[in-house]
Amino acid sequence: MSSMKTKIKEHRARRRLTQEKLADIVGVRRETIIYLEQGKYNPSLRLAHGVARALGTTIDRLFVFDDRDGVPPD
Amino acid sequence: MKKVSWGIFIAALVITLLLISLEQYYVAVSLVVGTVIMRHRELWSLVVRRRLPPVDERVRGNTNKAVRNGFVFLAGLTAFLMLPLGRIFTTDLDTQFVLAGMFLATGLVYLLSYVYYDRAAPKMSRWRLERLRWFLTLGGVSIGVFIIAVFLHNVISGLSGFEEPVFFIVAVILAPLALAVSIIGSLVLFIMGLAARPS
Repeated sequence: MSSMKTKIKEHRARRRLTQEKLADIVGVRRETIIYLEQGKYNPSLRLAHGVARALGTTIDRLFVFDDRDGVPPD
Repeated sequence: MKKVSWGIFIAALVITLLLISLEQYYVAVSLVVGTVIMRHRELWSLVVRRRLPPVDERVRGNTNKAVRNGFVFLAGLTAFLMLPLGRIFTTDLDTQFVLAGMFLATGLVYLLSYVYYDRAAPKMSRWRLERLRWFLTLGGVSIGVFIIAVFLHNVISGLSGFEEPVFFIVAVILAPLALAVSIIGSLVLFIMGLAARPS
């Protein structure tokens, strides 16, 4: 299984958003943002898009997959 | 979704008051404790922020998985109680007690599953998750071994005419011991996961 790392925390800090504020903007719970930041929750494409848009970036910049045993990078 | 949550809270309150008026205090306390364990974040948010937190996809997913576990458990328990071996446990009991026990146990499985998916699993390391899976598998295997050992003991004893000792020891000592190890190990890891701070 490929592991996921996110850069939500960095982007959030850059925008000076708290976890709670980001959760409010995206329409999820704060715990969901916490687990997303820790890479312990795999979001749906819709949620990933929502978070990326709230942070003014793109999904591929926000979520980084370790592809050692997953889909090979192109 | 907020209307649904409000509806659930009001329904739970009405049911609790109804149960108290019927002097069913234990059931009322179980309902209140279960609601507080399951929904303390919603209650806290209602008190502090005057609004319910959103029911997002993670919460919906965890609820779905907990409902699935409860349903699988109820189906398995029903199947077990229909077996000749399972009927031994229910012959001296009233139907209402058996049904109440089944539904309470199903509720407990749902509750533990939800708390595990929502609170414990995200805070557990991969090593602890693997150990927990191992303990749960041991529990499932021990129940299966118990049923098979009882069946084989009865068949061999019936056919040979003497008390078969190997499967008897497996069913009476080894399988319950493995189940006890499984339950204790799972509970310890579960509680450690709940108590852990997110890494």
